[in-house]
Amino acid sequence: MLEVTGLRKRFGRTVAVDGIDLAVRKGAIFGFVGPNGAGKTTTLSMITGLLRPDAGSVVVGEADVWRSPDAAKRVLGVLPDRMRLFDRLTGAQMLYYCGVLHGLDRETARSRSEDLSRALALEGSLDRPVADYSIGMIKKVSLAAALIHSPRLLVLDEPFEGVDPVSTAHAIDLLRSYARAGGTVVLSSHNMDLVERVCDSVAVIVGGSILARGTLEEVRAGSSLEERFVDLAGGRSAVEGLEWLTTFSD
Amino acid sequence: MVDDVLRLKLALLSSAFRGPRRLARTAVVALLAIGFTVAVLEAAAQFRPDDAGHRAGLVVIASILALAIAISPLTSGLGSALEPRRFAPFPIAPGRLAAALAVAGALGLQGLMAVVVVVAIGIAWGGTPFEGAAVGGGLAGAVAVILTGQFLVAVAAQLAIAPTAARTVALFARGLVGLGVAAATTTALVVERGRDDARVIEIGAFLASTPLGLPWAVAGSDAPALAARMLGALALVAALAIGWRVLVGRLLEAPERQRWIPRSRGLGLFDLVPATQGGVIAARSILYWTRDPRYRLALVALPVAPALMMIALAIAGIPGQYLWLIPIPVLALFLGWFSHNDVAYDHTAVWLHVAAHVRGASDRWGRAVPPLLLGVPLVVLLAPVFAVWSGIEGVEPALLGTSLGLLLTGIGVSSVASAAAPYPAPRPGAGPFDQPPLTAATAGWSQGLSMLAILVLMAPALVTAWRGIEGEPELLPIAALAGVATGVVMLALGVLIGGRVFRRRAPELLDLVLRT
Repeated sequence: MLEVTGLRKRFGRTVAVDGIDLAVRKGAIFGFVGPNGAGKTTTLSMITGLLRPDAGSVVVGEADVWRSPDAAKRVLGVLPDRMRLFDRLTGAQMLYYCGVLHGLDRETARSRSEDLSRALALEGSLDRPVADYSIGMIKKVSLAAALIHSPRLLVLDEPFEGVDPVSTAHAIDLLRSYARAGGTVVLSSHNMDLVERVCDSVAVIVGGSILARGTLEEVRAGSSLEERFVDLAGGRSAVEGLEWLTTFSD
Repeated sequence: MVDDVLRLKLALLSSAFRGPRRLARTAVVALLAIGFTVAVLEAAAQFRPDDAGHRAGLVVIASILALAIAISPLTSGLGSALEPRRFAPFPIAPGRLAAALAVAGALGLQGLMAVVVVVAIGIAWGGTPFEGAAVGGGLAGAVAVILTGQFLVAVAAQLAIAPTAARTVALFARGLVGLGVAAATTTALVVERGRDDARVIEIGAFLASTPLGLPWAVAGSDAPALAARMLGALALVAALAIGWRVLVGRLLEAPERQRWIPRSRGLGLFDLVPATQGGVIAARSILYWTRDPRYRLALVALPVAPALMMIALAIAGIPGQYLWLIPIPVLALFLGWFSHNDVAYDHTAVWLHVAAHVRGASDRWGRAVPPLLLGVPLVVLLAPVFAVWSGIEGVEPALLGTSLGLLLTGIGVSSVASAAAPYPAPRPGAGPFDQPPLTAATAGWSQGLSMLAILVLMAPALVTAWRGIEGEPELLPIAALAGVATGVVMLALGVLIGGRVFRRRAPELLDLVLRT
């Protein structure tokens, strides 16, 4: 469903993403994990057509995101990290706006907004401006916006940051049934427990390169995902130079 | 009963003097009212009963002012405290309530203004045999105006279902009243000039045959017509009074209309626009123009900038007739140019357009709707008025055409500029004067070049118009056509080119706002 080959991006002198290859099969829930500044957001932005790569190609289904964006973006649902919504619109207006931008007609856009808001427990807040939402609420409405045109591939950057456990559970159920029906999910997260719970395959990215990839079992290699992740990310550095922190001031 | 309602009305009136904010508001209203009174009485003193043009002009001006005064109660918002339904819980006979409310309506600014008009008519016809008839007809007219105002208040209170609707109606009413005063002033100037008397007489005769103009046209006709018009005016008052009585009765009996509950969730403006990319982008754009302080500043500055320019040029010694030609084109130019950095104003929210791969032309058209919706009516309504004020013969079409041209060309150029050369703007939610976190040298270039481009593209039409004013009047219609044609072509081209650029450069635009 998703084929990434030789993806590369540099900002000035720093290489943010250094030749990444990825393949995600249809129906998978793929976890993309890495420490802060590892290039997760940059990679996902290039996959979703929001950031132009220096080299490499991204193919979604049959279509190349950067050569035939029209076809590719039709089957892509995106939740980017740290990007605004049009926050003077109400939640309902925002969802309708996204639906119509993706080519839905009036009735479909409206009824799907209602279905999604019910599934994500947004109903009570839909008539408030998005500017008044908490971070978790914004993530939920963004997830609804990413789903509204029933894409084949969902790319979610930190979808559960700031979302309460109940809503997270709702969202996970929703993603699972979406994947069972043949949808494909790529998501990034800092939360290893969550990734272990949701994803069936993962890739660990550190310093712009992928250090491990495969099914959850393969990457875990016997220990927990968190242990493996810390190992791959350079291991625990001994806490030195902070001795004063153990000599309490009183 | 009547004095209870009157006491209530007096209490309401005195509340206008309580609190500094309300006092300031009242002071402004009082100044406007005094200005209005002085102007109307001054104009009445200039009246010459033997001049057919003056007689017709009086009917026209009085009709326009009557309409404006009838609408004026709506300008302060809907849901008046003296709306009939508010009295429904009390045991008051509908007939007495109707009478009390009508008398209360006469008390206050609206009644005062109506009386001013009657006095003015009395002054105008003073010393002629028609004085009595004029005042009699005028009084009938004033009562009709007040009753009409009551009708409007009662009906508007039923419409005041949503705060936005109420605000829109109040704003619209203010616009109408302002327009009425402007139209009355223009008519007075035209009558004073005396060159278009035939047209004024024609309009006056038409108005005199309608209920609107009838009461003001009683004086100055021969005996049978006078009697017929006086009877007509009285019949009008009687009809309005009966209607008012019936309406009050209905309102007291009929259950209050339910607040309108949206069938599905309220999408506001989005319910009114077509469900297309261009449609929803237009609706979103309009909401931002009306709600976002960054856009609202521009709306406030728009009328101020041309006024300041006029004052500056007047001090510099530019003759008055040219001064009147300046504000509308300047306003059109700024309004068109204003959206040249529209994409940067979206900040990172523009990712939604990138991710949905919005058609470039849809994006551009959507963003062009607010300035078009605001600018075109403004130019079409005001350009002829300002052209008449300038006193230059035949300049009306040229001023209208070049102003429209500047507006449309401006929007066209902005469509390209906002896609090709955006620069960091204040973030959403920031104040209009907040500096963006990162200023760039491109800002000055982009602003200057887009302004220059509009002027260069419009130069042929503008130069033609200028030559037309300077002694080659046959060029004025050509300038008008050239202006409109340039505008239409440039808008279409701008949307087309801007759309292509936007679609090709969308990720780069997103990259720019991400870094600011």
